[in-house]
Amino acid sequence: MEERPFAEKVPRSADLNEQPLVILELIQRLKVRDVMTTELLVAARHTTLREVQDIMKQIKISGVPVAENGRLYGLISIDDIIRALEGGYIDEPCQKHMSTKLVVLEDDMPLSFAISYFDRYRYGRFPVLDRNQRLVGIICQRDINRTLLVELTHELRRMEELTGGSSAPQDDYAGLYFFREFPVSKFDFENAGKAATTIKQLLQERSFPARLIRRVAVAAYELEMNMCVHSLGGVLTCQVSNGEVEIVARDTGPGIADVEWACRDGSSTANDWIRSLGFGAGLGLPNVKRVADHFEIRSQEGEGTRVRAVLVLASENKPKEESQGSGGG
Amino acid sequence: MLTIDELVEFCGATAVVVPDPGVEVTGCYTSDLLSDVMANAPEDCVLVTVQNHRNTVAVATLVGALVIMVCHDREIPEEMITAASNEGVAILKTPLNQYHTSARIYRAFGS
Amino acid sequence: MTFAEVVAAIGGKMVVLTETADRKVRHVVGSDLMSDVLLVDEDDMMLLTSLASDQVLRTAQIVGATGVVIVNDKPVPDSMADVARELGLSLATSNLSKYEGCVAVYKALNGITT
Repeated sequence: MEERPFAEKVPRSADLNEQPLVILELIQRLKVRDVMTTELLVAARHTTLREVQDIMKQIKISGVPVAENGRLYGLISIDDIIRALEGGYIDEPCQKHMSTKLVVLEDDMPLSFAISYFDRYRYGRFPVLDRNQRLVGIICQRDINRTLLVELTHELRRMEELTGGSSAPQDDYAGLYFFREFPVSKFDFENAGKAATTIKQLLQERSFPARLIRRVAVAAYELEMNMCVHSLGGVLTCQVSNGEVEIVARDTGPGIADVEWACRDGSSTANDWIRSLGFGAGLGLPNVKRVADHFEIRSQEGEGTRVRAVLVLASENKPKEESQGSGGG
Repeated sequence: MLTIDELVEFCGATAVVVPDPGVEVTGCYTSDLLSDVMANAPEDCVLVTVQNHRNTVAVATLVGALVIMVCHDREIPEEMITAASNEGVAILKTPLNQYHTSARIYRAFGS
Repeated sequence: MTFAEVVAAIGGKMVVLTETADRKVRHVVGSDLMSDVLLVDEDDMMLLTSLASDQVLRTAQIVGATGVVIVNDKPVPDSMADVARELGLSLATSNLSKYEGCVAVYKALNGITT
């Protein structure tokens, strides 16, 4: 878990200079997997260096991983190809000439980590492995620049919306920023729920409205338990910025086949063992939907699931029109 | 002894499946853990639960519960209705929670 | 009635006594499903459950419960008592079933003595 200093209750101001450093927040929040290229062209160990050279030409990249069935064996860079041409062994298999002392990144690492790697190692690219040490992507500086530009534009628009002459009442929390991240492990019932409890405490310490704290805690808790019960593990994040609390649950799989169905009240894939622990009644996602002002879920079978729940501080001042049980889709 | 009609009336419930309108329950058990129901529920009881699942019918049949009262007006899935019709178990649903439903049933028994 | 008073009235046994026990009980939930407990919008709730696990306490804490009563005479694991202390949440046990427990709490809160 990253410990980061809080920008405590910065007084609300139209001056963007007083906003927290967006870029720092971005490179903490974004993960290597959000940035990396996943459409991989790889060479096998027996692929010749000439064939690798062709791949490089075709897609204008300067480094090709050597991998088979997700296992990474090495990397061929443009320098290796030049040396092969000079040395006259361009038709030999890359196994003999690839670099095997590799520096790799993991998909779960924050982007800030990747940036420091580029700075430290001066390589053009890093292969990205998942927690099972399987090759899942490759990251180069161009990927980082592109993603940051997109995210910054998005962030800027949000800041403009907040500061630009809207008549919406501003509250004291609008300038508050913090970000926390909690790993969640599969079936770790001993620790499950701690993230939500911690989030609740953090908000209490900052005197957020009690009703909002409760809604945030419910959303965080359900998402945390969902990951514990159903996923292979993942990360729960809580970010407070611009007068919003955002809870994101991102797991590494196995994904949800029918998202619409899963969000319906009573839909459950839990077995009796999970039910005996008091979970798996198909109320989790509907509960998150019920308490959140914005709810988003993205999933695909065989891949991970990402659920985002946003709770807006200002919405607490309004009477809640939808009382309960709206749950299902 | 409480009839289906009395349960419906006291709990403000809706009848979802009533295979035999003549059954009478002699007790009540409130639980959402099917293993607990299996171990402890008395025969001829009404089971108060939020478990709107086919397995609830299976467990009710095993312990000889005659009526399942589903709380919070949770939707009863088609497969649960089918199972209940086949097994001869009644399903009612009420907007109340398990605590209030239990209290109402207690009062119904006393009246 | 405070949580401590309700526990005494239904013949329960206090396992972990914290300051939440002095809060008035305004709402009662008798559930074994954690998501169902999280549906509760009211503050000052007491929870009766037949589930004895750490998650019960964490769930109760999330919705700001006054305390938890484990029914069915279930033994409370040491770890659970530790979590209750850590969260500052009162924890009691009762040998009643959940139905009987709900009825007993109902009678206590409504001054019914028979």
